[in-house]
Amino acid sequence: MTAEKITLGQGLQKRGVSRRSFLKFCGAMTAALALPARYTSRIAEAVETKPRPPLLWLEYQDCAGNTESLLRASQPTVAQLVLDVLSVDYHETIMAPAGHQAEKSLRDTMEKYKGQYIVVVEGSIPTKDDGVYCTIGGRTALDLVKDIGGSAAAVIAAGTCAAYGGLPAAAPDPTGAVGVSKVLSTVPILNLPGCPMNVINLTATVVHYLTFGELPAVDQFGRPLFAYGERIHDHCERRAHYDAGQYAEAWGDEGHRKGWCLYKMGCKGPETYHNCPVVRWNEGTNWPIGAGHGCAGCAEPGFWDSMTPFYRRLPNTPGFGVETSADKVGLGVVAGVTGAFTMHGLVSAMRATGEPLAEHETINKEENTDG
Amino acid sequence: MAKIAIDPITRIEGHLRIEAQVDGGEVTEAWSSATMWRGIEQILIGRDPRDAWYFTQRI
Repeated sequence: MTAEKITLGQGLQKRGVSRRSFLKFCGAMTAALALPARYTSRIAEAVETKPRPPLLWLEYQDCAGNTESLLRASQPTVAQLVLDVLSVDYHETIMAPAGHQAEKSLRDTMEKYKGQYIVVVEGSIPTKDDGVYCTIGGRTALDLVKDIGGSAAAVIAAGTCAAYGGLPAAAPDPTGAVGVSKVLSTVPILNLPGCPMNVINLTATVVHYLTFGELPAVDQFGRPLFAYGERIHDHCERRAHYDAGQYAEAWGDEGHRKGWCLYKMGCKGPETYHNCPVVRWNEGTNWPIGAGHGCAGCAEPGFWDSMTPFYRRLPNTPGFGVETSADKVGLGVVAGVTGAFTMHGLVSAMRATGEPLAEHETINKEENTDG
Repeated sequence: MAKIAIDPITRIEGHLRIEAQVDGGEVTEAWSSATMWRGIEQILIGRDPRDAWYFTQRI
């Protein structure tokens, strides 16, 4: 798996991907990045002509969940290619060499593409006791991430552990686990939290990097706005039930079976920023709330402590208060509707009495003759 | 008589180091080490039991 200077376009041709599928993919990426449609051709041009950057995938205090997510990109052939053709020179879970040969592969890429390769980090970095809680080839994760990440063009922290410390950093944080940005500050770092991160967002980030030569714009937690700019709650397919005050109150009750809002079952959607409901999982098949389980808030920093217990409902929900929402919103709606009817009534009355004959009366007469 | 170490072991989930004592082309002794620890058992103490699956699923 050595990095050759071939472009993604050439890689696609080799794989027999049609022009049509390729442009379709570029269109999907434009949408994922929340860019206007006219950017599709620019993305297509960049992806076709820019040499693919070598990618080093580093695993520290991880469960390989983000690797699983990466491998799930295998079905949409072109999306897979972006990552496949990316030239993944080092990835412990999927690479053929082991031991010294694996290390050699890593060193070769680091030397040959110094300052040009992309590093993806999966898992947190333990800092307690000089970082002894994670070592590879006799070196600590702390030492390795500074060394390898320090000479990268950009570092992508894949998953909540690499971004913010995640599960290992949950109280009492036995190993002093932190995210990449806490130990590395000399290179651009992008956080793609989620447990795991969604591979669509990784693909889109890479496409953005190829197209514009830089990482996408981020929020205060270092997350790209295109994927973490809106709340789960804002795009939830069960939102109408929330607004209507229809909640599942127990697992398997009538509301749960009917697909009502899971807020009272502990759903953290109202406080979680992620594009989960839009991009979904497993080739867009479904997502947690669609499958009947509340959102766990996995894209938020420190969610293992701040969002637990997972089955306890959120104390306060942004927007209107849920406890009183059904009644209040209901009354508000009734008042609004009454107002609208009243206005309509007044206008109709004025029209009815005015000269010349109001339009609706003509229509009414026609209706009457039909009847 | 030589001692070899293979670290990292690849194509597995997790971190593993294998050391082996090789004597005349045969492994006479071997040691394995898991080179990563997160302390999930300690993290679970005192939490809502209904959350345990979500934490341990990440092992």
